[in-house]
Amino acid sequence: MTQRINALLSKYRRFIPLTVTALLVLVAYTIGAILYPAMRNPQVFFNLFQNNSYLLISAIGMTFVILTGGIDLSVSGVVALTTVASAALLRDGWNPWIVILLMLIMGMTLGAIMGSFIAFMKVQPFIATLAGMWFARGMCFFISDDAIAIDNRIFHLIGKTKILIPGLRELAISQATTPPYTSIFVVISFLLLGVAIYIAHFRRFGRTVYAIGGYEGRNEQSARLMGLSVNTTKVLVYTFNGFCSGLAGIALAIFVSSGHGLYATGFELDVIASVVIGGTMLTGGEGYVFGTLFGVMVIAVTQILIQFTGSLSSWWTKIVIGLLMLVFIGIQSFIATRRGGRQQKKWIHTLLATPQRRLALIFSAGALIVISILAIYFSPSILGTENITSTGSGHCNVQPFRKEEVANLIDNGAVIAYHRAGGTRCVDELYAVYPDGSVVAKSGEQDLQGQVDPNEVQKILATISDTYGWFTEKMYSTYHNPCGTCYTHYLTISYNGQEKTVTAVDGGVDMQPEYGYTLSIIRPILPKFNP
Amino acid sequence: MKKNRTSFTWRKVTESRLFFPLLALVIILLADLILIPGFFKFQIRGDNLYGSLIDIFRNGSTVALLAIGMTLVIATGGIDLSVGAVMAIAASVAALLMNPYVLGKELSPQLQALIRDPNFTWQPLWVVLLITLLVAILCGLWNGILVAYVRIQPMVATLILMIAGRGIAQLITNGVRIQIFYEPYAFIGQGWIILPFCLYLVAIIYALTWLFTRKTAVGMFIESVGINARSSFFSGISERKIKLLVYTFCGFCAGIAGLVASANIKTSDANNIGWSLELDAILAVVIGGTSMAGGRFSLLASIIGAMVMQAVTTSMYAIGVPAFALLAIKGVFVILVVMLYSKQVRGLFQKLAVDRKET
Repeated sequence: MTQRINALLSKYRRFIPLTVTALLVLVAYTIGAILYPAMRNPQVFFNLFQNNSYLLISAIGMTFVILTGGIDLSVSGVVALTTVASAALLRDGWNPWIVILLMLIMGMTLGAIMGSFIAFMKVQPFIATLAGMWFARGMCFFISDDAIAIDNRIFHLIGKTKILIPGLRELAISQATTPPYTSIFVVISFLLLGVAIYIAHFRRFGRTVYAIGGYEGRNEQSARLMGLSVNTTKVLVYTFNGFCSGLAGIALAIFVSSGHGLYATGFELDVIASVVIGGTMLTGGEGYVFGTLFGVMVIAVTQILIQFTGSLSSWWTKIVIGLLMLVFIGIQSFIATRRGGRQQKKWIHTLLATPQRRLALIFSAGALIVISILAIYFSPSILGTENITSTGSGHCNVQPFRKEEVANLIDNGAVIAYHRAGGTRCVDELYAVYPDGSVVAKSGEQDLQGQVDPNEVQKILATISDTYGWFTEKMYSTYHNPCGTCYTHYLTISYNGQEKTVTAVDGGVDMQPEYGYTLSIIRPILPKFNP
Repeated sequence: MKKNRTSFTWRKVTESRLFFPLLALVIILLADLILIPGFFKFQIRGDNLYGSLIDIFRNGSTVALLAIGMTLVIATGGIDLSVGAVMAIAASVAALLMNPYVLGKELSPQLQALIRDPNFTWQPLWVVLLITLLVAILCGLWNGILVAYVRIQPMVATLILMIAGRGIAQLITNGVRIQIFYEPYAFIGQGWIILPFCLYLVAIIYALTWLFTRKTAVGMFIESVGINARSSFFSGISERKIKLLVYTFCGFCAGIAGLVASANIKTSDANNIGWSLELDAILAVVIGGTSMAGGRFSLLASIIGAMVMQAVTTSMYAIGVPAFALLAIKGVFVILVVMLYSKQVRGLFQKLAVDRKET
């Protein structure tokens, strides 16, 4: 029996990482559904893709890069640049389709330039794409320091269109529940996945990609000796990844309907993690594009589980993803050693075969235990963030939250009170929006008045409360030391008798996406101060 | 005959590892001298020296510390992406050991007054430093075990800690940004004894590392592992132990850098301390001329590389380039430097030199 299992395992060992990932997604989601009944709603499942369609798009491109044994750190920069550039062009009144086309071309050009450096100049992929990332992020701030809202009909249309799922629609209607839907970008990302699978497994190009990667660059040499066009393939792979980054950037810009140079910080790590968890070897040459889909889903399910648990803080996502990567890399190296002709030995024996290995195991276990003891010892029992007053951050003395003033405004009937401090000009601005549509803004030096449509205020409030879940527990205050150009936001919303203040600082990874969307829909109705 | 000899010495100078980084530093400083009036002015306040030049060295000290550890790692043909995260972990541990009361939700007024006292600390300074560095060393050891014994690619192995590390740092402080009020600790980052204290720290670490690598055989072992791990193994060098040592040492350096960074801003900021500094450190090493493929290394060249990066940053700020736009310039700068070192360009230069000789 064990022999047969062993034989089976070694025959299909290439599929082990993929199967494990798929099982993990299934198990994690099932556990979630048992614990939290809200997760049984099919819409939650479809939201997994909807909230991560740009991650999937980017991860597909990254899979090809990693299959050639390279890496691309520039994705986050290119994504941010795409959001800013498209927002700026749309603000200037360009045709949205031309903007989308231009963004894709821009991504491809950046990718092609980096690819040429890597292929022809023999610059390490790591360094070349790092420079690309810095370049792209820097260019964002040449275009605009502040977030630019996107107010374009076609972009909104693409973002808001709901595509009903054919089979489930009838089922939902027969049960008189709202039918689950998905968005255009989910469909696009799945189309891209299909094309990518076709290219990777059924075209000569895909074979070349697989041939280049693996064995620490030694396969590249053999591919070259076989007469494969290694350099061209590499440039094409990075160009394709640039295209994917551009597309992901457009998806993100549409999703949050704004553009800012600090979006998607640390995004490249998520992308790389989802490719690795999806079973692609980081040395290249082995893995499946299809697996990346599961890698993305693992990350999406992790996020949603932590969200549903509520009491766990956002940083647990990072720790869980790190641990998962460790596990999957462990599986991969285990498969790699099995291939190395040590198939008879059970893996635990191979692990303990030599004194060094035993030593390593003891060391690593010891290190883990010490770290976890330290963590448990120091992590206090109370979860939840402190109410922290700001202090100076190098460039600017960030003003503290004017709590009493905001409380007064709310008492006087304001529905939105928004206090923003920091930034390049070190502002300290207080905005108040009233239900009759009047907007009052104070910056210490200037006082401004504005008037908007009262219906629009109601619409914004409804969106914040219902779509973004402002009054639910998934909205909580976050804080980190603001960078020189970052703003500290204090936003108080009063709606239907509920009142809640949430604090956040941009420029980090801790702000919830919903907070960003909320700011981006409030920002357009506020009057602008002249510097 | 005489001409020959001068050209020989010139060649010796240009082929020195320090030549290119020093040249870059000199060019940048010369540009500053011309473009920014008063760049080289020194002020003496009390007994201490102040000035833009000293600022460059002071702000570059964290990257220089990281670069010392990173040089050894890169010399073995590896890479350590986790140093930034380890810095954040170290800063969090240190802040917590001095000021654990912040994590309690309600603070009594007495306690609040107490923790703001600049002479108050929970643990004595030596315990804080010891435990912080111990934790940093453990992080390095973890990387080393993954790379040397579990045989995971260095980049992947350290990527794990890079992703999880910031989460761990936030876990330690429970997501709170702990302020550090204890004055003796702040001295590490902000103190001056004629020159900034952190410069002495860099000098001490450099001197110790130099003695350890150049006055014992360890440096040679590291280089040989970087050039060819397998043949060093066959010639009796315990390649795994060397790798373990190098990554552990890199963790230690990151720990010290974390202490300096957190003492400098007087907070533990798990999100921002050391953010993208691993990249700066790697670039400092690359500018210093150590090949990413491993092999020969020069610690001093890496430190000069760190100073070159900081000089670029400081002079751009002085000219008035905004902080984020600087990234774009840095990106172009990196590509230029890497191209300058690439075989293709060097080959071109050599070809040109040969052609000139022939004609």
